[in-house]
Order: sequence, then C-alpha cells, then structure tokens
Amino acid sequence: MTKRISKYQRFKMMNPIIQFFKFLYLSLKIMVIVAGGHGGTRRVN
Amino acid sequence: MAKIVVLGAGISGHVAAAHLRRKLSKEHIVEVVSPNSNYQWIPSNIWVGIGRMKSKSILFPLKPLYKKKHINYKQAKAVAFYPEGDIQLENPYVEVEYVVGEQKGKKEKVTYDYLINATGPKLNFEATEGLNPGQNKTFSVCTYNHAEHAWEGLNALIQQMKQGKKAKILIGTGHAKATCQGAAFEYILNVEQELRRHKVRDMAEITWISNEYQLGDFGMDGMLLSYGGMTMKSHEMVEMIFEDRNIKWILGAGVQKIENGIAHYENLEGEFKTENYDFAMLIPSFSGHGFKAYDKTGNDITEKLFKGFMVVDADYTSKPYEEWTVQDWPETYQNPTYKNIFAPGIAFAPPHSISKPRKSKNGTEIFPAPPRTGMPSGITAKLVADNIIDAIKSGKNELQHKGSMGNMGAACIASAGFGLTSGSGISITTFPIVPDYKTYADTQGRKLGKTFASIGLAGHWLKLALHHAFIYKAKMKPLWWLIPE
Ligand SMILES: Cc1cc2nc3c(=O)[nH]c(=O)nc-3n(C[C@H](O)[C@H](O)[C@H](O)COP(=O)(O)OP(=O)(O)OC[C@H]3O[C@@H](n4cnc5c(N)ncnc54)[C@H](O)[C@@H]3O)c2cc1C
Repeated sequence: MTKRISKYQRFKMMNPIIQFFKFLYLSLKIMVIVAGGHGGTRRVN
Repeated sequence: MAKIVVLGAGISGHVAAAHLRRKLSKEHIVEVVSPNSNYQWIPSNIWVGIGRMKSKSILFPLKPLYKKKHINYKQAKAVAFYPEGDIQLENPYVEVEYVVGEQKGKKEKVTYDYLINATGPKLNFEATEGLNPGQNKTFSVCTYNHAEHAWEGLNALIQQMKQGKKAKILIGTGHAKATCQGAAFEYILNVEQELRRHKVRDMAEITWISNEYQLGDFGMDGMLLSYGGMTMKSHEMVEMIFEDRNIKWILGAGVQKIENGIAHYENLEGEFKTENYDFAMLIPSFSGHGFKAYDKTGNDITEKLFKGFMVVDADYTSKPYEEWTVQDWPETYQNPTYKNIFAPGIAFAPPHSISKPRKSKNGTEIFPAPPRTGMPSGITAKLVADNIIDAIKSGKNELQHKGSMGNMGAACIASAGFGLTSGSGISITTFPIVPDYKTYADTQGRKLGKTFASIGLAGHWLKLALHHAFIYKAKMKPLWWLIPE
C-alpha cells in the first residue's frame, strides 16, 4: 500500500473543527456555482 | 385549461410536476404517470448498499403527496406515443398500461396538451450476458431494492471474511459503454471504508473495473481542477485516493459476460481477459425504454421521437470528436417535430458522448456514455416546466428558459465513507458540465475556479445535508421551492 495522503493532510481532512469551516466554505462555494445560473450556448442573431 | 402530462416520477419528473403545480392555477391539470409507487432519492442508495441507511429513509410514497398537492397520479407505464392522436381521438395522447391493482395490465389513452417525458434510463442489464442483480455474485445499487440486495450480499461476505475467508471485490462498470461511473466510484470507497470498520480490510482485494481510459474520467472526459491550492487532473486525484486506499484498477475494460464469480472483458488493447470475484457491483448500460410512436393514421414515426432516448433540440449530426462543440448540446429539451413534447433529465438523447470515443484493436467501442447527474436533471426539468408555464400563461411558445449542459455547472458530492466523525466525501464541482474547449482552451474546457475538488469529513456532512434537503424539497414541505435544484 502506498500512503499517498500524509498524516498531516489526513488530520486536516478529518479534523471536525477545520472541517466545520470547510463545510461552510463548500456550501457557499456550491451555492455560488448554482446561483451562477445556466443558459444557452447558441448565439441568437 | 391546459393538461400537462409528466411521464416518470424520478428526479426530473417530480421536479417538473412540483414546479408546474406550484405556478399554475388549479384550472390546469398536472398529471404524473409513473410505474413506481415511491419517490426515491437515488444518490443515497450508496449508503443503503453498505447497510448504513435503511431504504425507508430514502423514499416516500407518491400517492398521498400528489393527492394533497392536486397532482393527478396514475401508477402506470407509458407504452406508445401518439403525438397526433389517432383516427378516433383528435388529441395527442400516450398509451399507458397500469402496473398494479385491479387495473393491472389495462391500457388507457392519456391525452395531453403538453408532454414531459422524464422516464430516465432503462437499466439495461440484458446488454451484458449474465449481469443480473443478485445473480452470479453481481449486484447493483441503481434502485433501493438493488441496493438492499447488494448489502445482503456484501454483509454475507463480510461474515465469511471474519471467519478467515480471503475475498476479491470488483466494482465499476458492467458494459463497454456504461455511464454513472460516479456512483460506482462512491460505492467502492464506501465498501472499502466499511471493510475497515468491520476489521476485515486486509482479507479483501478490491478492484475498480471501468470502461474509462483514465481514472477520474467519469464520462466527462476527465477534468482539470483546483485541489488544495494546486491544479490537478482528475485522474491524478483519483489515483491518489485509490493508491492510498489500496484499491487496484483495470481501465479501458468493456465487460461482456458474467459467469458465477467471473467477469469476462475486452480491453482497449483488444485482449480478452477475465477477473474473478466473490462480490461485484457493476453498473449496467443505460438505454432508452424502446418506446414506439405512431402518427394519426398509425404509421410508425418512432425515429421522429426517439434515437434510443428522446430526440430534442440537439445537433445529432455525426462528426468526429475534434469537431464536437458545446453548441451540439440541447438548450430547451423540446422535440423538434412535436413542439409540445419535452424530455429533461436522462430521458433526452445526447448528441454524442462527452468522453473521447475509443475503440479496442478489434473495433469494439469502449468508452463511457455521457452522464446526466441529479443536478442537471433537476435544472433541465425546471426550465422545461417554466417554458410550459410561460406558454400557457402568455399563449406564446417563446422558450425563454434555456440550460445547456455546456453552460451549466454541477456539484457532485461523492461519498467516500459513511460516519458523522469518520465519514468522508469528495466534493467536486465542474463548470461547465460539457467541456467548452473553445472558451476554456487552456484549462481543458472548464473554468478552473468553478471546477474544484475537496476531500474530507465536510464532504460527508454536505452529502448528508443534501440528502435531507432534497427529501424535504421532494416532499414539497413549506418553502421547498427555495431549495435550488
Ligand atoms: C446509485 C446512484 C447514485 C447516484 N448518485 C448521484 C449523486 O450523488 N449525485 C447526482 O447528482 N446524481 C447521482 N446519480 C444520478 C441521478 O440519480 C440521476 O441523474 C437522476 O436520477 C436522473 O433523473 P431522471 O428523472 O432523469 O431519471 P430517474 O430518476 O431514473 O427517473 C425516471 C422515472 O421514470 C419512471 N419510468 C420508467 N419507465 C417509465 C415508463 N415507461 N413510463 C413512465 N414512467 C417511467 C421511473 O419509474 C422513474 O420514476 C446517481 C445514480 C445512481 C444510479
């Protein structure tokens, strides 16, 4: 088995306090992408 | 008065019916025809398949909800389309067949002014010989029933491993042109974590088998994404995760036949190989439902409505990968011949795949079909509903609401393990879903800031939060419509 994720990275990934802030950040970031909307791609002349 | 018939009560059919009902006055009829009695939040099937969630937590019965919300509901399946009516009946209609109760087997002509075909995919297990959920040690997590069986199979194997059995687990795609790699990816990571939880991880060899050319293709031609301050390719990220969890992989594999514990596949090198297993979860190919369509005089006009899935405003001209553009992808999901028919979600025929098509040395096509995940399924359903609502209210067929997958972002939170403090999730967002290689020429067709990934406990919380939010929304509880698709 090749440990590709270091102990420190794993600590950050699983630490509930760090991850709580990450949760808020990700929720916001996803909302921004959703709120960014969608549309067509074809130009209407 | 207008009558809108929605075929299918999955993510897109239910979203469309809910928005239509909310925005149209009661003089208009919204009618759902679907063979399923329950609404299911499919993404959480992954957790049912590892025994961490009961299927009752991911479903609820449709009939009482629809009754309460004044949505007509027929538990039936569409069989044939008559978009011009017939010689006896002037109105366009769909022939449906009831699937339960006293009326089972009875056929009925369901007329409409507008038709939304949201019948999703047929889970085409027959396309792979021997691939049948619950048989030959293969399972599926595509429905809650399948997922329950998968957990029974996995749990039985875990008990054997506790007695000292060494086991091989195979998870991935069960057909050369299967899609939905994301679901299989979630399942393999969840199974791996569960084996650790049950302290039998060292008894199992876990292998990913997929028709992808590279890891992390996900049927989306892979992604260049921001990850922890770096820019990384999705195959590098998935490779990192698999190596870290000691998961092996077989790529470019078109599974062709399943025997009891043996998967036969052809790879891109043109070699025919086998892989043994004690438990497999392989996603079948998805196909259209084989619907037929007829004109007023009974002539077969199926090709006007279907190319496997439903024909919509896509550019279906056959052209090489290098010439594909985002403009090929549909914007309104309207059938070009019959303008009162729409097909959001998985029900529409895509113009081509998103991943680069590849053939084995024997000429067999081995590459993922294009995925249409929950978010675009919901968004396209809502925009179809909004266009119909506008047309009914204004009398004009203007199709103001547009949403091409080439100009739409998607968030996909891939569960990587269940547990409030030990769980994990890989949160991936991508914009656009279909890469726009012209606009984002230097970043593999995607906008980097909006295409990112993050791994950790927060991802699990997010996936769990979305589970509750979307079930709340689907139940049409107060202010449900504020929750975006
Ligand atoms: C295991 C799994 C996990 C997934 N996880 C995620 C995830 O984490 N995130 C994400 O975004 N997406 C995920 N997806 C994809 C997501 O579930 C699909 O994108 C979505 O369900 C598609 O919605 P749909 O309404 O088009 O099709 P479906 O949800 O399949 O709905 C189709 C409906 O049509 C009905 N129907 C079928 N035949 C007929 C007929 N003849 N007449 C009338 N009705 C009919 C069906 O009963 C069903 O109600 C996952 C998929 C799977 C299988």
